[in-house]
Amino acid sequence: MSEGRRKVVIVPCSGIGKTYGTVSREAAYEVTEDMRPAEAQLVALSLLVLGDEEARAAVAGSPAVTIDGCKLACATKMVEESGGTVARDFAVLDVYRRHRQFKPKGIAELNEAGHELARVLAEEIVAVVDSLSRDNGGENA
Amino acid sequence: MPDLPKKKVGIVACSGEELSEGTVTRLAALKVLEQLRPADTVTICLPLFLAGGKGDRAFARFYPTVAVDGCDKRCAARATEMYSGKPAASVVVSDLVAEDGMGQPEGKRRLNDAGQQAVEATAERVADLVDMLLGKTAGQRAETFTELAEASEPEEAVQATCACGSGIPIQEVAVDGRVVTLIALPLIFQQFHQAGKMPGEETARELLEVVKIYNPILQEEEEDYAKTLRREYAAFSEKEEVLA
Repeated sequence: MSEGRRKVVIVPCSGIGKTYGTVSREAAYEVTEDMRPAEAQLVALSLLVLGDEEARAAVAGSPAVTIDGCKLACATKMVEESGGTVARDFAVLDVYRRHRQFKPKGIAELNEAGHELARVLAEEIVAVVDSLSRDNGGENA
Repeated sequence: MPDLPKKKVGIVACSGEELSEGTVTRLAALKVLEQLRPADTVTICLPLFLAGGKGDRAFARFYPTVAVDGCDKRCAARATEMYSGKPAASVVVSDLVAEDGMGQPEGKRRLNDAGQQAVEATAERVADLVDMLLGKTAGQRAETFTELAEASEPEEAVQATCACGSGIPIQEVAVDGRVVTLIALPLIFQQFHQAGKMPGEETARELLEVVKIYNPILQEEEEDYAKTLRREYAAFSEKEEVLA
């Protein structure tokens, strides 16, 4: 990653009551820790809710990919509310509808299908991250 | 007759995804909601205070709330106070870890042993606070546990009671020329109407007593509130009669 270039911001749902929230988080970790650690960074929703300056600056200065666990779309709404630009909003339910063979279960601990769904979602996010990085002159193009 | 929601304690976890302690808050909250105090607790996602509606923002004014934070930024406690209501109690995982001399939690996706220990300790602390806020003694807790154990199907997992999107029923009314939001008022009106209570001075007094359970009302404002409730309940009853 070239010096000074900003990372794509990944903002997952922070829900604790539903399995789709866990899938969104797992996908965000897959992207930011395993697949594109140099190109993407995770920003926690709680920091945006509080109005944390560093978190707001991160979403204001970089394109964001949001991952929502339910139709209330907190991640997308909060990025917009924080002055950020949502380059792509993913809804876990939509991804599941396209991959019904991976039915996620569990909140504290996802089942294997949940992990598979998170991996599929992560791959879709990576495609967006690469595209945004390419636009920004990155190496993963 | 519609029941007013049972008094429960709201758990708001920061869920901070960028810290291991955030994962601790999430798993500890889940343990309380699903295992330790399933009948006495409810949760809401922190972002809903901004991304949700007025009903979501009424959460901490309706439920006494325990904020569970991972670090000293205290996002859950501070944001809850800013947008909903002051939490009744607060737990900070990093403080708890230091106080109890536990190891450093590590692993955002999969906690290490110290992280698991922190989950247990945080969950126990939150459960104790829930009991305290509901005024439950150890004896009452033991009775409730026995009842739950007898009544529940052991093979069925208890699901966390998530308040996302459900919101607290609220109504805006004018009290002495200013608009105030009264929590649970639609349900209270429904309950009174179905009990056959007729609009009038006596009913307004009864309404005031119930409304005061869920809404802080200063003693010197009670007369104004009683007038408002009398007027609003009369309007509600008239509307119900038309619909009947």
